[in-house]
Amino acid sequence: MQPIIHVRGLTKTIDSGSHKVEILKGIDLDVPAGQFVAIMGQSGSGKSTLLGLLAGLDTPTSGTIILDGRDITGLEEDDLALLRGRTIGFVFQSYQLIPTLTAEENVLLPYELGGGNGADGVKRARELLGSVGLDDRRDHYPVQLSGGEQQRVALARAFMVKPPILMADEPTGNLDSANGRHILELLIELNRREGATLILVTHDRTLAGSASRLVTLSDGLIVSDELREPAVPA
Amino acid sequence: MNWRIASKIAWREMRSSSYRFLFVALAVAAGVGALTGVRGFSQSFRGMLLSEARTLMAGDLSTRMFALPNEEQFAALEDLASRGVTRTWVTETLSMASSASTPDPLLVSIKAVDPKVYPFYGNLRLEPALALREALTPESVALSEDLELRLGVPVGGTVRVGGQDFRVAAIVASEPDRMSGSLNVGLRLLMSREALDRTGLIRPGSRAAQRFLFKLSPQSPGVEEVRGILRKIFPEARVIDFRETHPSITRGLNRSTTFLSLVSLIALIVGALGVAMAMHAHIQQKMDSIAIMKSLGGRSGQILRIYLLQAMMLGLGGGLLGVAVGSGIQALFPALIAKYFHVRPDALFNPGAAVQGLAAGLLTTLLFTLPPLLSIRRIRPGIIFRREMPEARLPWRTRARESRAAWAAAGGMLLGLGGIAAWLSDSVRLGAWFAGGLVTSLIALTLVAWILLRSLRAFLRRSPWRIPAMVRHGMANLYRPGNQAEAVLVALGVGVMFTLTVYLVQRSLLETIVKSAPPGMPNVFLLDITEREREPLLELIQAQPGLAGKPQIVPSVAAKLSGVNGTPLEELRIEGWGRRWRSTRSVSWQEELPEHTTILQGQWWPKGAAEPMVSVAEETAKILNLSPGSRIEMLASGRTIQARVAAVHRTEAIRLGATNDFLFNASALAGLPTIYYGGVRMQPGGVVALQREAYRRFPTVTVVNVVDALEVIQEMVDQIALVVRFLSAFAIIAGAVILASSVAGTRFRRIREVVILKTLGGTRRRVARIFSVEFSILGLVAGVMGSVLATAFSAILLKELLDAEFRFDPLPNAIAVVLTAVIANSAGWLASFRILGQKPLEVLRDE
Repeated sequence: MQPIIHVRGLTKTIDSGSHKVEILKGIDLDVPAGQFVAIMGQSGSGKSTLLGLLAGLDTPTSGTIILDGRDITGLEEDDLALLRGRTIGFVFQSYQLIPTLTAEENVLLPYELGGGNGADGVKRARELLGSVGLDDRRDHYPVQLSGGEQQRVALARAFMVKPPILMADEPTGNLDSANGRHILELLIELNRREGATLILVTHDRTLAGSASRLVTLSDGLIVSDELREPAVPA
Repeated sequence: MNWRIASKIAWREMRSSSYRFLFVALAVAAGVGALTGVRGFSQSFRGMLLSEARTLMAGDLSTRMFALPNEEQFAALEDLASRGVTRTWVTETLSMASSASTPDPLLVSIKAVDPKVYPFYGNLRLEPALALREALTPESVALSEDLELRLGVPVGGTVRVGGQDFRVAAIVASEPDRMSGSLNVGLRLLMSREALDRTGLIRPGSRAAQRFLFKLSPQSPGVEEVRGILRKIFPEARVIDFRETHPSITRGLNRSTTFLSLVSLIALIVGALGVAMAMHAHIQQKMDSIAIMKSLGGRSGQILRIYLLQAMMLGLGGGLLGVAVGSGIQALFPALIAKYFHVRPDALFNPGAAVQGLAAGLLTTLLFTLPPLLSIRRIRPGIIFRREMPEARLPWRTRARESRAAWAAAGGMLLGLGGIAAWLSDSVRLGAWFAGGLVTSLIALTLVAWILLRSLRAFLRRSPWRIPAMVRHGMANLYRPGNQAEAVLVALGVGVMFTLTVYLVQRSLLETIVKSAPPGMPNVFLLDITEREREPLLELIQAQPGLAGKPQIVPSVAAKLSGVNGTPLEELRIEGWGRRWRSTRSVSWQEELPEHTTILQGQWWPKGAAEPMVSVAEETAKILNLSPGSRIEMLASGRTIQARVAAVHRTEAIRLGATNDFLFNASALAGLPTIYYGGVRMQPGGVVALQREAYRRFPTVTVVNVVDALEVIQEMVDQIALVVRFLSAFAIIAGAVILASSVAGTRFRRIREVVILKTLGGTRRRVARIFSVEFSILGLVAGVMGSVLATAFSAILLKELLDAEFRFDPLPNAIAVVLTAVIANSAGWLASFRILGQKPLEVLRDE
């Protein structure tokens, strides 16, 4: 079966004029559809950069990324945006909600960016907000929500257009342990329900324990890649 | 994302940054306001001219000439009258008037009318409300209010003109055709024709404008036919009908509207510059939101909609506010011209101009926000992950592609601005010049701002002296991230440069006029001297204390060129300036070569030569193709004069009255009715005594003190300059608003600084001083830049285009610099006074 993510020889070098920093030094990675992969590593190991490149948020220095059967490395900015809108859902460490939109409007945004404009969208957004327990908070602005609540809105937003791939970058990094656990449970539960491929970037071993595959990065290279039985989050 | 969603996000973001955007909208409003005001007034005024054309002319048709009609012409007018075309005769001339309380005579503009008939249309209002025929009798006259004040004569008092006393019967409150006449520079004295005859001011050759006003009746021929007939009767006269209103007024109005519109456009551009700056800062602040949207699948085009809508809202909001301001400005204009026109209050709002101002505001705003809007495309979604890492260097192909867009945007802006300027001025050429000039100024200002800011920073870092901490801190604030000091300097500098250029050019022009009478040149002119008065007047002048040069008295004979080298004038093709020779002009005779005159070709005649001879001025000889040996034919008082061209000359002197385009020998013009004009150089203190004495003994001789005339010119120039300065001040206001908006844009950084300074023990006063140093430097630098460039521009304008002298004067420049610093401080404080009150804990807790 064709993997949903296929990466070969991926490098990323940042040239700031006076010096060059090699962030990724040649990554090969295949992820089959439906897999839950945790990418681990120390700070500065290149895990967030890898996630950004997989999502087409940045361009690699060399290498190939084939996402859902499509080579994204040569795509134009707007084509990448279109692809992201249809294929990838995102959860960021610092929530990244639009401050001037309400919770419901934030959840609706990917749907609207993709050209959607109907009652179906609103219905789905409300359902998702309900499933993350924010039914009564949908008209609140991000500033009126706690950190955990904001991340729950971000979770709902990530699943809005039923993307085949979900990428989460340290989704619990800004939260206390109780809230972090709750978010992880919601993420796994929603992912199970929606049947997406989940790529989770974290440096938290407990979090990574829920994944069926653990990829470890160090200094821009994959140092281990193991399949494992996922632990049920406590 | 559709437009509805984009507008929702746009509106919410605007609301959350309303403080900053309010300032920007105000800057646009300043420009649109000036533009709407000027164009609105101009359009309303033109509309009023059209609707009140008959009133402004006081008749259906009018003819104007500088010679008295002959008998044949009177007969033809009688014939027209028998066909239902009634007429009235108006004579306008300049003379001197005095009163018992003011023995020193004043230059007055006399208008003699037939009070039983004049005016055909409109209403001449007098105070007290008398009928004109009661006020104007052979013994009584009416004065304008300013003349009443200057002469100190109340109604019922006596005024002396041409050696005759007249009772002042009333004050002229409004005169319908005041602007349609000639010789209008002096103070108005209105009299009847009989009274004018009593003064003895009008003789053949006197400098007076003769105007006939005609009124058509249902039985009379149509306006076009009557106009044709009048042209035939008075081939030398200017015949106009009410449909043209007043060509010189409309031409003047068109020119000044174009000029003032372009001045306003500059204010608008400064405002738009503010929008661009605010939009740039705003997009910088919203980079995260933009990156989030991009990472969620938003394309640049979709996100662009949000910010395009914001720019449009700003343009529209500022524009609407500007239209309101513009209506206020329109209300101010009538006051400026109230002396000449009565403007109806209903002419105060013009929807056409409002739409035009709004459109120009919106277009300019959109043009200037192009670069920041395009920068949205360059925001990469990856910044969400890697904000702290330096931005990767893009491949050259991408860089070239992106800079191509920036160049295209710059080209688009230039074309767009040129287009708007061409639209406002109805001239593609002017539009191109405007856009070119503006871009040059902006580049020059940006360059100077860049150099100054870099130099200041270098000074701050490498200064060998210990700069006080407060000043150092204030200076360092200029380089605070997001402070946009360069753009503020450019915006404020444009305003200062423009206002000061207008002032310097206007002042230098006036100085040039004053200086154009160099030592030895006459500064007092004497008009309408008769043969009988000539010798005694000369004696009187020579006996005056303060005489500084030899008085000159030049004879003048009214004559009309009828043929050149045997060809009748009608068959000659003469164009341009030479066409003045088709009407009656004044020619002179001289036995000896006058002073300041050189012979270029031929020879001056020997004294007492019997053969009629003439010397022709260089330019006239060129136009009429005359050289020594050519023959000319002239008509004067029914006599034909034929003369041989003996010489071609050039004169370098100021002349008033008699021209010396044709200088004959005495025998050629012998026996023709002659009027003399004189010129004399007096010490400044002696002018009034000469005026008084000449007026006492020769009341019909008009003594023109050039210094007085210059005052009149100055008054007119001042009025125009006032309007221009008023409008160019809008550019400064817009610049100040931009400074305020830039300060508002860095509000959060400032709050943080204030809080840290306060936490570390800084008092409010100390913080205020630091901010004041920053604002003062901005104002002073912008003032210096503006005045340096204004000096350079006015020097170029004066020397290259206006052929006038330029002299550097540090005073206005210094005043401009200080004023700019004051404005900058006021604007800066207006935007940041609330910051000072911040409680440290509130801010630190939120961090």
